[in-house]
Amino acid sequence: MPVFRFILQRALQAVLVTLAVTLFVALAVRLTGDPAVMMTAESSSVTEEDLIRIREALGLNQPFYAQYLDFLKGLITFDLGNSFFRGSIADLISIALPSTLILAVASMGISILISIPLGIHAALHKGGISDQIIRVLSLVGLSFPNFWLGIMFVLLLSITFPILPASGFETWSALILPALTIGIILTATNVRLVRTQMLETLSAQYVMVARAKGLSEWSVIYKHALRNAAIAIVTFLGLQFGNLIGGLVVVELVFNWPGMGTLSIEAIAQRDYPLLQATVTILAIMIVAVNLAVDLVYGLIDPRIRVA
Amino acid sequence: MTDTTASKTPLLCVRDLSVTFGDGPSAARVVDGVSFDLAHNRTLAIVGESGSGKSITSLAILGLLKHLGGRIAGGEMLFQSDVLGRRVNLDQLTENELRQVRGNEIAMIFQEPMTSLNPVYTIGSQMGETLALHQGLSRSNARQKAQEFLDLVRLPNAKRLLDSYPHQLSGGMRQRVMIAMALCCQPKILIADEPTTALDVTIQAQILHIIRDLQAKMRTSVIFISHDMGVVSEMADDVLVMKASKPIEAGGVKEVLSHPKAPYTQELLAAVPRIGSMTGTTMPKLFDIPGQEFAPETVPAKPVDRSKPVLEIEDLTVRFDIRGGLLSRVTHRVHAAEKVSFNIYPGETLALVGESGSGKSTVGKTIQQLQDPVSGAMRFHGQDIFSLPADDRKAFRKQTQYVFQDPYGSLNPRKTVGDSLIEPALVHGLVTSKAEAKDKIADLLVKVGLPADHAGRYPHQFSGGQRQRLCIARALACDPSLIIADEAVSALDVSVQAQVVNLLMQLQAEQGLSYLFITHDMAVVERISHRVAVMYLGQIVEIGSRQQVFENPQHPYTKRLLSAVPVLNPGVRPTRPPLEGEIPSGMRAVGNEPAPVTLKAVSDGHFVAEQAS
Repeated sequence: MPVFRFILQRALQAVLVTLAVTLFVALAVRLTGDPAVMMTAESSSVTEEDLIRIREALGLNQPFYAQYLDFLKGLITFDLGNSFFRGSIADLISIALPSTLILAVASMGISILISIPLGIHAALHKGGISDQIIRVLSLVGLSFPNFWLGIMFVLLLSITFPILPASGFETWSALILPALTIGIILTATNVRLVRTQMLETLSAQYVMVARAKGLSEWSVIYKHALRNAAIAIVTFLGLQFGNLIGGLVVVELVFNWPGMGTLSIEAIAQRDYPLLQATVTILAIMIVAVNLAVDLVYGLIDPRIRVA
Repeated sequence: MTDTTASKTPLLCVRDLSVTFGDGPSAARVVDGVSFDLAHNRTLAIVGESGSGKSITSLAILGLLKHLGGRIAGGEMLFQSDVLGRRVNLDQLTENELRQVRGNEIAMIFQEPMTSLNPVYTIGSQMGETLALHQGLSRSNARQKAQEFLDLVRLPNAKRLLDSYPHQLSGGMRQRVMIAMALCCQPKILIADEPTTALDVTIQAQILHIIRDLQAKMRTSVIFISHDMGVVSEMADDVLVMKASKPIEAGGVKEVLSHPKAPYTQELLAAVPRIGSMTGTTMPKLFDIPGQEFAPETVPAKPVDRSKPVLEIEDLTVRFDIRGGLLSRVTHRVHAAEKVSFNIYPGETLALVGESGSGKSTVGKTIQQLQDPVSGAMRFHGQDIFSLPADDRKAFRKQTQYVFQDPYGSLNPRKTVGDSLIEPALVHGLVTSKAEAKDKIADLLVKVGLPADHAGRYPHQFSGGQRQRLCIARALACDPSLIIADEAVSALDVSVQAQVVNLLMQLQAEQGLSYLFITHDMAVVERISHRVAVMYLGQIVEIGSRQQVFENPQHPYTKRLLSAVPVLNPGVRPTRPPLEGEIPSGMRAVGNEPAPVTLKAVSDGHFVAEQAS
């Protein structure tokens, strides 16, 4: 079965990507400082012997390759081990990963819900006033830094008009502001993409044929044109997922969202090597998995890409 | 049609139709004052060259202009609609009413079968959509009816086709699907916009036959839009000639094509190459274009000296590997050219004819060294090229020059035409100083009939025909002895095509050039060539002088090709159905090599492939 072969290929690729990313992160974080020193920075009576004992306890006295192999071993046996300071990594991630996924899916969903109708509208009214307004707004959206937009939302909707919570995770309403922040940033690029792709498919001959058959405009646009435009749109959304994760890290911090981003940043701050390696690995696997899913979705959208 | 008076009033009356694109003073009038009547069960052909407004007229009837940015500026289109139950002006209908007419009472087939079907839906779903919409059929009934109509256009395996996607079908099959889809609601009017222009000539014959046949069965009125006078002559009852958005002449097909009154129609018809018009002559002949700058007699037809060939091709074989499987090994090969052999002599035109996939372009590209052969020899003025080291081989490239089909794509839009023209001469070090280059450019432009002071212009400032002249001028820059013209006149309007063909012949007479003229168009071949080689599936199946091949074709494929060419003989309809079947593919599994054909002489210089019996 060629589909299985394809998935196998991609799984192998995922392994290589994970290896490369974790190796790089493990190396880089060790260049930034000694966790033993960081831990003891507050107390004044630390001797060199104390530091050595701490390093021994954390396994930092071993050579780098041994530490890295240990980590890999843990990864293969699905045993992520313990954080330097916070206990079981698996426990930490079991809280952080779902909350990040909820945020990611919500912001992607918001972006799709806004950008597809707006993009189609702009394509249908190319050069018109609404098209120009949409294009200007998208440019404005592109030029906002996401954390700034997040802070503005908090100021406006949590402080000036206290409608929505500024941070936290307890209620569903807490999801709205962070998801809206990332969703709007993503929409700025997506709306342009949808517009360009729709312009291209709308000028295709089969769209004229569909109209000549007497189909309604709705059917022409949403059935005949959009599905063809979807191929490029889905590709882009897959690639965008990487950026989305990058954006999440910052926005989670702004909204104090207990996700993978917050966890990673805390791990960096504390030089918590095992925790950081674990979070980065999981994010990398997520990005690879999303791209694999995108490749499989192609086949559903376009029969020409189905593996024969 | 319910009573006798209805059948006397035309089905569709178009009066003073005008269409504009754009607004205000910059608006362009692309259809200007067109009027015609379409009667029941008749075919009206709208003829014209590109930009004449013929396609726009048809889109206006369907009310589809607004999607292209056009609008109807004046006139009326009266149509007897059964669905709406009255005689309506199509321009005045609401979008809702129009949609009931579109695809139901007036259906349309478009030019490009390759892009007319939506690639992501099955044939069955695309046909079913129309049937469900206009006839309210259920899914299974729509499927059944779709299958009936696929059978009607003689598509084999109609049932399986319903679940196929467009990319699994050839161009000819897709156009049949389009016809089935257009006719499945039994429309009163079928608009066919250049339905066969993108197809091979044998496939064209099949499609035209199907349209004629179904029209007779279903008593549909047809508006047939075409630039091809031969096709029009075979299809039309009435003809409307258009030029530059205006109607020029209208009348019965016999009257307009046999006794044209308007000077433009006369010119157009003079430029049409007619197959059989050269019967009895041995040499190529210029088109007699009224008002052209030189008379046909000024180009003396010199007999070709056959003592020393310019180019000898021997057993040239070109194959393309197709990889597949786990280790991406070569599993199949496209046998593009198999043991092709021929000579070209000084001052001679050899036409290489065949349909898509026959390998004719591959042969041309291999000669130009744009493609490496698997085996075979090529001698240029007696020197074996393929055995030379790569650097020496390059020097021979300037001796042969290539003119491509698409004059739009083959000139760099960001370079002045002067720079483009002189480039090959610079590359090969034939021109060294600026002054020399300037003289050479002027000289080249004059040679192809363009003003010398156009050197500073850019390609977009020229028309299609002028651009093809520029491509020819560029080919001449290195003083080649052989020019390979690959479908060089196929994309041009017929009147422009005649001029470019004349130019090629004139240059041949002046400079003793040899041409390898690669084309699918038999009628042009008859005009321009001294000798003809017919290619089929990568092999030459017949080669001989033009007279031998055209007047005494021996190979069944040559006969089929010649009989498929539409003949400009108004009033005479081909009655014999064309041979069915697709052009087979040259792709074969590794190890399954095609049997080499042996050419047998039937007369002096006329060779035909022996038939496997």
